[in-house]
Amino acid sequence: MKGRFSWFNAMSILLGFAFLYIPILLLVIFSFNESKLVTVWAGWSTKWYGSLLQNQALKDAAWVTLRVAVVSASAATVLGTLAAITLVRMGRFPGRTLFSGMIFAPLVMPDVITGLSLLLIFVALGIDRGFWTIILAHITFSMCYAAVVVQARLQDFDKSVEEAAMDLGATPVGTFFQVTLPIIAPSVVSAWLLAFTLSLDDLVIASFTTGPGATTLPMKIYSQVRLGVTPEINAISTILIGIVTTGVLAAAYFTKRQTEKAERERRAAFGAAG
Amino acid sequence: MDVATARDPKANTSSPQRAGPRTAAPQSGFAPWKNPDLPPIVRFEGITKRFDEFVAVNNVTLNIYEKEFFALLGPSGCGKSTLLRMLAGFERPTDGRIFVAGEDITDLPPYERPVNMMFQSYALFPHMTVERNIGFGLRQEGMPKDKIAERVDEAMGMLELRQFAKRKPNQLSGGQQQRVALARCIAKKPRIVLLDEPLGALDKKLRQQAQFELMRIQETTGTTFIIVTHDQEEAMTVASRIAVMEKGLLVQVATPGDIYENPKTRYIAGFIGDVNVFEGKVSKVSDGCIEIDANGGYKFKTKSTETVTVGQQVGLALRPEKIRIGLEKPTSDVNVIPGKVEDIGYLGSISHYHVRTAPGERVTALRANAAHTVEQAITWEDSVWLDWPVDAGVVLTG
Repeated sequence: MKGRFSWFNAMSILLGFAFLYIPILLLVIFSFNESKLVTVWAGWSTKWYGSLLQNQALKDAAWVTLRVAVVSASAATVLGTLAAITLVRMGRFPGRTLFSGMIFAPLVMPDVITGLSLLLIFVALGIDRGFWTIILAHITFSMCYAAVVVQARLQDFDKSVEEAAMDLGATPVGTFFQVTLPIIAPSVVSAWLLAFTLSLDDLVIASFTTGPGATTLPMKIYSQVRLGVTPEINAISTILIGIVTTGVLAAAYFTKRQTEKAERERRAAFGAAG
Repeated sequence: MDVATARDPKANTSSPQRAGPRTAAPQSGFAPWKNPDLPPIVRFEGITKRFDEFVAVNNVTLNIYEKEFFALLGPSGCGKSTLLRMLAGFERPTDGRIFVAGEDITDLPPYERPVNMMFQSYALFPHMTVERNIGFGLRQEGMPKDKIAERVDEAMGMLELRQFAKRKPNQLSGGQQQRVALARCIAKKPRIVLLDEPLGALDKKLRQQAQFELMRIQETTGTTFIIVTHDQEEAMTVASRIAVMEKGLLVQVATPGDIYENPKTRYIAGFIGDVNVFEGKVSKVSDGCIEIDANGGYKFKTKSTETVTVGQQVGLALRPEKIRIGLEKPTSDVNVIPGKVEDIGYLGSISHYHVRTAPGERVTALRANAAHTVEQAITWEDSVWLDWPVDAGVVLTG
């Protein structure tokens, strides 16, 4: 198969990518549309990006979203990392299977169910819904993603490295910060990025758990679209796409450079030593 | 049998490299385990470790003395690593206490124990340079920076690692990594160094080099070393005493020479070099001697302090170099057995004779080729007589 060109393969790839990217491409192009009508092309313009800066409601929503994403991603990463360490390191303890099952169940839980159940508990406990309830909800559902990412790294982690640290006099806390965390750091960063992205584009769970005064960007966009799509929405969506794409590419580049660097060092060392 | 006899050069002619006597001359008078007044540096007292139903270590009591190079030897799964890990603090004994220098350390966490361990996988910190790896333990003590640098440099010098100071572990070869692991272990100057299959990942040539390096480090630092290994040659080479373990039990604790000369079980007897084992039943026990009725109606007699009962099934172990081979029938009527030469291995200074005895056992005997022209050359298909003195054999009950 390698290197052989066939029309069938070419068409499959073309169709596949068209299916994935034409809608996004259209959105990006129309964000630069001069016309106020979303479906009519009237020449290039960046005026909607300008008017975006004047739109206080959208700016507020973006600010809420960013704060929610940063706080919930950070908390979810911490909790997810702890859960992953417990699962991988603690060996067998009574209820381990149940514990791991319960950590990963939210991965396949429909958002609507998660959102509804969280709403019920907030109401039952009499918690005022708003900014903090969204954060709590986002921590809940993104934590298990973080746990999965970190757990994957921990599984091929030589446990004796931690034992060596303790053997040399490091306390368990010292061992974690001096040895474990630096080694698993790339996966912790990945976990954070994943949790951040998940929080950034969540609509369903945020809608269930929000209250007055706390509107995230996806909620704002959705509510505006119901009144009709404006080019401003296209513009802000394009910016979101830009942020996400940059983040993903940066993470990929960073990871690739790390492995290449390690490989280069190894080769240099053995080239010199013979 | 005392150590001097164990060092009898004759004992090692079969394979001078493998079963060689302790090369370290200073060790010859070193036998702290014989001094009942000397407190041990490590004491395992009735140590048992169970993993669910599996008994990994079964009621082990063992004393190890200062400056010893002590080997725990046995096949994988015999409990030797578990015993070492309990001393390091990574496993809790189910039963029993562990003392270091008289102090009960059974309940201390690993980071409060005066022992340092070298891991089979080396367990180097991949994100730190060689220098920082070696200094890790010293940094945990909060030692001043210049003092740390000094100690790290000393350890690197001892193991010829100075040129690699700024490298990361993945830029080192296996042998270099092994040396970093050892340097990191001794940098803290612990009272006891634990080595868990430290040379298992090295190839044979490198391993021999590393064994001598271990011995050199152990002697220059004067530290107590405890090594876990499944490699009998390694244990014989480096250790002052060996504890042989089997299925969680301590089978024998003795010097390498004693293990070779006075093995307790068939399993240990087969460890080093060749051994011939004749099976038989005890027929008489009297004044320090055991008489055995062997297969084929032959009578063997051997000096032994082993407690046996008449009628018990035992083995008589004989090293090839202890068996005389000749064409003439010896005058004695015990410890004599006829046979036919099946094979001869000529090794220059000595020859191996593989003899099929009348009962059908295959026995190996050694003969030094002393005379320039052997008057009475023994050759293939010759009918020969094998015999040995009463103090040559070892009675095996296990």
